[in-house]
Amino acid sequence: MQAINSNTQARSVNLPWRLIVGLGVILLLIIISYIRSPQITTAVLSSTLRQSTPIILGALAGIFCERSGVVNIGIEGMMLMSAYMGFMFNVWTGNLLLAIVGTLLVGALIGAFHALMSITLKVDQVIGGTVINILATGLTGYFYQQGLTTSGKLQTITIPVLSDLPIVGPVLFTNPPITYAAIFLVVIVHLVLFKTRWGLRTRAVGEHPAAADTVGIRVNFVRYVNVIIGGMFAALAGAFLTLEAVGTFERGMTNGRGFVSLAVMIFGKWTPFGSWGGALLFGFANGVQTQIQFLQSQLPSWLAWLGQIPNQFIGMLPYLLTIIVLAGFVGRSRGPAASGKVYSKE
Amino acid sequence: MRKSFLGALLAALLLPILVACGGSSTPAAEPTSAPVAAEPTAAPAAEPTEAPAAEPTEAPAAEPTEEVAAEPTEAPAAGGAPTDDSNCADEAVLCVGLVTDVGRVDDKSFNQSAWEGVKAAEAELGAYVDYIETAAAQDYANNIMLFAEKNYDIIVTVGFALAEATAEAGEEYPNIKFIGVDQFHDGSQENVVGLIFNEDRAGYLAGALAASMSQSGTIAAVLGTDLVPAVVAFKEGYENGAKAINPDITVISTYHPGGFASGFTDPEWGATTAKQAIDQGADVVFGAGGNTGNGALIEVAGNEGKYCIGVDSDQWETVPEAHSCLISSAMKLITPGVTELIKAAKDGNFPSGVYYGDVGLAPFHDFDSVIPAEVKAKLDEINAGLADGSIDTGYVPAN
Repeated sequence: MQAINSNTQARSVNLPWRLIVGLGVILLLIIISYIRSPQITTAVLSSTLRQSTPIILGALAGIFCERSGVVNIGIEGMMLMSAYMGFMFNVWTGNLLLAIVGTLLVGALIGAFHALMSITLKVDQVIGGTVINILATGLTGYFYQQGLTTSGKLQTITIPVLSDLPIVGPVLFTNPPITYAAIFLVVIVHLVLFKTRWGLRTRAVGEHPAAADTVGIRVNFVRYVNVIIGGMFAALAGAFLTLEAVGTFERGMTNGRGFVSLAVMIFGKWTPFGSWGGALLFGFANGVQTQIQFLQSQLPSWLAWLGQIPNQFIGMLPYLLTIIVLAGFVGRSRGPAASGKVYSKE
Repeated sequence: MRKSFLGALLAALLLPILVACGGSSTPAAEPTSAPVAAEPTAAPAAEPTEAPAAEPTEAPAAEPTEEVAAEPTEAPAAGGAPTDDSNCADEAVLCVGLVTDVGRVDDKSFNQSAWEGVKAAEAELGAYVDYIETAAAQDYANNIMLFAEKNYDIIVTVGFALAEATAEAGEEYPNIKFIGVDQFHDGSQENVVGLIFNEDRAGYLAGALAASMSQSGTIAAVLGTDLVPAVVAFKEGYENGAKAINPDITVISTYHPGGFASGFTDPEWGATTAKQAIDQGADVVFGAGGNTGNGALIEVAGNEGKYCIGVDSDQWETVPEAHSCLISSAMKLITPGVTELIKAAKDGNFPSGVYYGDVGLAPFHDFDSVIPAEVKAKLDEINAGLADGSIDTGYVPAN
């Protein structure tokens, strides 16, 4: 009991320090490894950012929905469906910009569908999300045909001058557009959520809808809009897969990324920056996991034991790391109080 | 409090499994109407038995009728080939069924190559052919049973993972011939044969080609799961083949960590991994692992001056997005192998145990002029050496 009390009192002083020390250690490690091997460090960090992109976009989708009180377990399905539609728009129009706009509209539509189910029709929100997931796997699997080709995918944009910097340049300033967008969106969502009237209303509706209602906020309207925005974020994650990263669609190609997003959102305590940290951690663990395998044949003798670990265990690294950090550093994580509860006026 | 979170995490982790199981149940309702519209002449009596589609595994079975409908010219050419599987029990009617590994029959890889072999048999022997796409690993036995219970004469099962289910079905149905693509069978059952390949040899050729074409001295391999011995054989062969050309070469290779569930169906992982390899100097990437490998090939295609090598079939035909980097593919000649075995089964000289199919490099296509003549000569020499046993790939099977 005492520990908890002192913790809450000292929180305003404690937290930034922890964060600064944490970031400092990470930075130091990056510099050390950069000195040892610039190429590998850059490769792993690029991979980190790339792998974190769909995850953070999915997590932002989740944040919008859950902060306004709607549980969205259907992010995976939204991603998959919009990945498919994005690919098809690209096939039909041959214009990547149109394809992205179309994908966002599809995302908004699926979001509206989820909102309709969970707000107006008062379907259990977990069931509603599951319906979207199953529907997405089924529909995309059935309608997808092999052999469709597109005119291309989003290309890397190199930002002049900045991209010439060591480490930072190739990792942060040599990326395709959706990856840049994801970084900006983290900041924008943070500002919207915590610095604007709309953000305040969203959080009020998610924490205590009855109270929000009494001060004149239209609870269900706020929820509808947020779930639709959430759908568009999930759609951007899907667009990342088919229009930017791979360039083609494959059945089930999201491979659980939507669910990882949900975990990352909880990891980040329903905040954009926290979730981004989680997504980067996940991406980093994946990059390291690949790198350990790459180097297996040329490890120095003191690290040779790494090569003996079965790949399946190395494959667990991202999940293991997430659990360790979650249990050890992030601590208890509590979602918006009204999340998952249907609101109806009395 | 933490407990409730762990519960949520557990639920989140369990959900993909639920989705994977339920996934194919949705389209089940749709295809039933399609064949009727497409081919009104198809004996309607046969259809209704499939219509209930209570199990998700049955759903894809409705699709092949479209296949038949699409090529109406082929059926009469074969001399009144059967148009449905209602009288497979009849000795005069040859029915061949194919059960895919998890994935689709048009996967641009394994399942597709085997299915093309079956279709070649359809054209040559006038057989009735059909396939079932497996949605999840626990359906293997059920899907084989669906064909067996309709008295199919030959059942082709595609993929290492179906070996056990195939052997069990062979035990239960001694009158049906089973062809297991990529499966090892010990020969104790006379009606079961495994069509296997020396993947290490195909990989060895790919490695030799990669090392010959590399400028940087670093080459990479992006692979499916190492739970499949064929993938391991490709990798070991690739590494040793590369070292045979250039002993100092650095080979960096990675297996997909996801196991059977996602090892071959994760193109974004393949693409990211290929990028990570290119970022650290690799200039030839071997993509071996279904759609995961295809993702790697497409990623390499976006990088100028880098080469990629495909796997299993000639991927020039199957992954057009990779044309700008694809110098060749390490092929397992699955299609002719399957056709050969089906013919053997019909002619009564069906082998048992294992049957070795051929391997080789696919044509160089656009890169024919880029690859120096001495490299081609060297590859021919290696190919001959592998065939007569004078070159050892250095791959030792685990079992």
